[in-house]
Amino acid sequence: MGRRGKIISSFVVAVFAILLVRLFWIQVIDDSYKRAAQNNVLRREVQYPPRGEVYDRNGELLVRSIPSYDLMAIPRDVGPFDTAALARIAGVTTEKLRAELEKASRYSRRRPSLIVKQISLEAKLLFDEGDYPGFYTVYRTMRSYPRKMAGNLLGYIGEVDAATVARDDYYQSGDYRGMSGIERTYEEVLRGEKGLTVSVVDVHGIKKGPYMEGMADVAPIPGTAITTALDGRLQALGEELMGDKVGSIIAIEPSTGEILVMVSSPGYDPDELVGRDRGNNYMELLRNPRHPLFNRGVMSRYPPGSTFKLVNGLIALQEGVVSAYTRYPCHGGYTVGRGVKCHDHRSPVNIRQAVQMSCNSYFCHAFRNILDNPKYGGVKNAFDAWNEYVYSFGFGHSLDSDLAGELEGFVPTRGTYDRIYRGSWNSLTLVSLSIGQGELGCTPLQMANLAATIANRGYYYTPHIVKHIDGRDSIDTRFYEKHYTKVERRYFDMVVDGMYDAVHKDGGTGRMAYVKGLDICGKTGTAQNPHGKDHATFLCFAPKNDPKIAVSVYVEHGGFGGSIAAPIASLIVEEYLTDTISRQWLVDYVKNMKIDYPYYDRQQK
Amino acid sequence: MEKSGVDWGSVAIFFALMLLGWTNIYAAVFDETATGGFSFSTRYGSQLMWIGICVLAAVVIMKVDEIYYHIVAYPFYVFMLVVLLATLVIGTEVNGARSWLRFGGLSVQPAEFAKFATALALARCMSSYSFSMAGLRSRVYAIAIILTPMAVILLQNDAGSAMVFASFLMVLYREGFNGWWYVALGMVVFLFVFSFIWTPTLLLAAIIIICAVMEGVMNGGWIRIVRYIAGVALGSLAICMVWLAVSPATVDYYYSLLAASVLSLVAVGVYAWRNKLRNVLVCVGMFLGSLAFTGMIDTVFSHLQLHQQKRILDLLGVESDLQYWGYNVNQSKIAIGSGGMFGKGYLQGTQTKYDFVPEQSTDFIFCTVGEEWGFFGSVVVLGLFCWLILRLIKMGERQHEAFGRVYCYGVAGIFLFHVMVNVGMTIGLMPVIGIPLPLFSYGGSSLFAFTLLFFVAVKLDSRRRENGEL
Repeated sequence: MGRRGKIISSFVVAVFAILLVRLFWIQVIDDSYKRAAQNNVLRREVQYPPRGEVYDRNGELLVRSIPSYDLMAIPRDVGPFDTAALARIAGVTTEKLRAELEKASRYSRRRPSLIVKQISLEAKLLFDEGDYPGFYTVYRTMRSYPRKMAGNLLGYIGEVDAATVARDDYYQSGDYRGMSGIERTYEEVLRGEKGLTVSVVDVHGIKKGPYMEGMADVAPIPGTAITTALDGRLQALGEELMGDKVGSIIAIEPSTGEILVMVSSPGYDPDELVGRDRGNNYMELLRNPRHPLFNRGVMSRYPPGSTFKLVNGLIALQEGVVSAYTRYPCHGGYTVGRGVKCHDHRSPVNIRQAVQMSCNSYFCHAFRNILDNPKYGGVKNAFDAWNEYVYSFGFGHSLDSDLAGELEGFVPTRGTYDRIYRGSWNSLTLVSLSIGQGELGCTPLQMANLAATIANRGYYYTPHIVKHIDGRDSIDTRFYEKHYTKVERRYFDMVVDGMYDAVHKDGGTGRMAYVKGLDICGKTGTAQNPHGKDHATFLCFAPKNDPKIAVSVYVEHGGFGGSIAAPIASLIVEEYLTDTISRQWLVDYVKNMKIDYPYYDRQQK
Repeated sequence: MEKSGVDWGSVAIFFALMLLGWTNIYAAVFDETATGGFSFSTRYGSQLMWIGICVLAAVVIMKVDEIYYHIVAYPFYVFMLVVLLATLVIGTEVNGARSWLRFGGLSVQPAEFAKFATALALARCMSSYSFSMAGLRSRVYAIAIILTPMAVILLQNDAGSAMVFASFLMVLYREGFNGWWYVALGMVVFLFVFSFIWTPTLLLAAIIIICAVMEGVMNGGWIRIVRYIAGVALGSLAICMVWLAVSPATVDYYYSLLAASVLSLVAVGVYAWRNKLRNVLVCVGMFLGSLAFTGMIDTVFSHLQLHQQKRILDLLGVESDLQYWGYNVNQSKIAIGSGGMFGKGYLQGTQTKYDFVPEQSTDFIFCTVGEEWGFFGSVVVLGLFCWLILRLIKMGERQHEAFGRVYCYGVAGIFLFHVMVNVGMTIGLMPVIGIPLPLFSYGGSSLFAFTLLFFVAVKLDSRRRENGEL
């Protein structure tokens, strides 16, 4: 062979060598192609589990999962079908159905597309009877609320957003998750475990059969049912009493911290946020000027008003700056400085009478005694001590309940006033704190928790809505822990006596809450606010010895606490303790009481 | 004298490849859910029928006296040109190329047979007594024979089939074409590829070094070369410094290097001219040519069709769009790469079975080999092809007549080009050019044309002793 023949032969060998080296690289060395091949042919399809049910404390169903189906189609396989009949079944117009099909065709002729979301089981059965080639249904679950109440408490579910999908491996685009309320707090319990079927598909996504005879499939695990502490009957009564009044009712079982009632008014029918009208209804609720989607029970920050006198009284007793026998005069109010007005009642009063008659003057004296206590060597140090007491009652921080979106309220500190008054302030400057006004802000849950704390004479359990989770012996350990206040039990007894008198004795501010034989102890509050008429509030517990229920009622712009909040609270207590309502007239009185909300309604455009 | 000079070894390799090809077509179109038995309407059925026809054709070719191939070479060539032109007018358009003729149910791609006709005609031309590589007229004839069908096929918009005619460059080289032309061609390819990948400065530096090294190869004197390169580097550095001092904002390394090298070349050119150093002038010319060509590439590139641009950029790794242009190659690489050492087993390939690879029984048939037989199968198939091509070259070398030698080289070149480009394409070494893998890709025209090509070579080879004695 000549020189050129040899060169050509070498060239041929070189070409094949290069091809083989490259083949060796991608076939033997580089693994990425093997993984890519797996991803190509295996289709993983999620099997959605039914979501866990939610029950009330008596076993009544509050939230259930109902089967729902998505109508899908593969445009290529769609044969001639009765468009009108299918549109009727799916509950859409024929034009809409045609438009969706056309959209699906444009997306892909061979891949499945969603045509109609969330059709009912009945519709699905009708669909199965008909002949609709190329269409099929996929199982999803939908929520249904048989009692149609406690929307804010139970919450709603919605499609996950992209950020959640990116953050949490569990979710994929299009999944549902709890967006608010119990649905959100207990998402991980309720959602169950998604299942998986793995199929082999061809390049068009057409299934060719199960992968490894179905050995790789995982069955979905249904979500776990939750029994809440809520008393459905009581909740219904609370919502009925509130009507379209704006405010909140919270009832707690003091001996456990379980939340029996949680009304945020105005509320909404949770069923409105399910199904195909969800979007429209949601927007309507969002636009409502009274903010029905806002869970006032844990998210609002109200001035506590006179109910906070209980806290100041207890601190003063514990600090020894007043005793059971200390009496202060009151002639129309506290007269030092700009003064604090008071209503007409007998004078002078001791702690018990001051609580009974809600005397402003007494608590101004007591509060200033706390701050001017010489043992702290200065008002600022004394105020720090006062802060610590108030915090121990659960104010100024989130209670760490299991209610979604719970806020911390606000308790001013020395820093707050140093900023406002540029460091120059004294006990008189802050005197409005003595009667629960000023910078203080509390959630209704914190006020109900105060009622429970006083009922327990000095401690509280973290309020919680969960009572039992199926298949678990206990709920979260934090709900079994007693939180003691920094005030001793014996001082509580004095204040409780005053609260008893407020309901039972002439001159008491909470007389409207009186129910024979129930020994209700209560405290009214009338909170000034910059938006209009005073807020009405009332907190109480009953019976006096061995308390079973503690209630806090807050009615925005309801005026005097004793006239609207106290009746509502007493009706709740009566219904809970006796299962009957003896004063139907009071129910009618409360329901017929109309309150104007120019502040909210002005915002409506 | 032996009775038969048939190279049975090559024939055996040829049929082994044909059989392997058929089994892989079967795998590529295999559908386990399909019912019913064997049928000629399926691709593997139809291919089997073509194999039968090819065996018959092979027998006929072996029976025909080799003198007829000399005689029919030109008439057949002219006939094929007419058919190609006719196809341009009455052909059927497939994938944008008007390259198919349809007779009832039978579709023929004339370009496949044009290769055969050209190989014969080229052999005839280059074996004539008056032919001499040194003569300009002879070279023009030979090149015209190659370029004419190529041009018509390009007009059909079938760039892939047209490019196959480049394989005759191998024949021309064997018959005495100047090797420097091939170096120049290699340089063109190099510049084309790297002008997309490298920065202009780096490319310019590479050109300077290549030209200098080439000069070294021709004239020796390596120390001189090193000194020259160092001088240019220092010169450009100096220009850079001056530039930096004058106008720091506009300093440009490319133009510094360009200025240094061009200035040095003026000196080198004058020196070479005076001393009549022709080789140096060749290198200077090559340098200037390279510069001009690099400048031209952008212009030419912008005149290519969009899909060609995309494929080139995709192949060079400059741009990659896996869902669009890169889809074919990516899926093909996945199929082959997932085969591993020994493959997934016959009919077990998931990528090919479920149609992830496009055109998998035609242009991408090698995916089936790679996926189901793994690297082992790749070695066997490519080994057989390599062996066959080397045997064809050997066949050519042992011919006593130029006709047989040119023809055998032509066949070897066509096989090599097809295998190199087709397999290279499936593993991302070559742009996606739609040409079949010989004896593997589904399609009667291609199978039949390769049978003709190969068996005529075998026939010519089998008669070499008798002809040699003449």
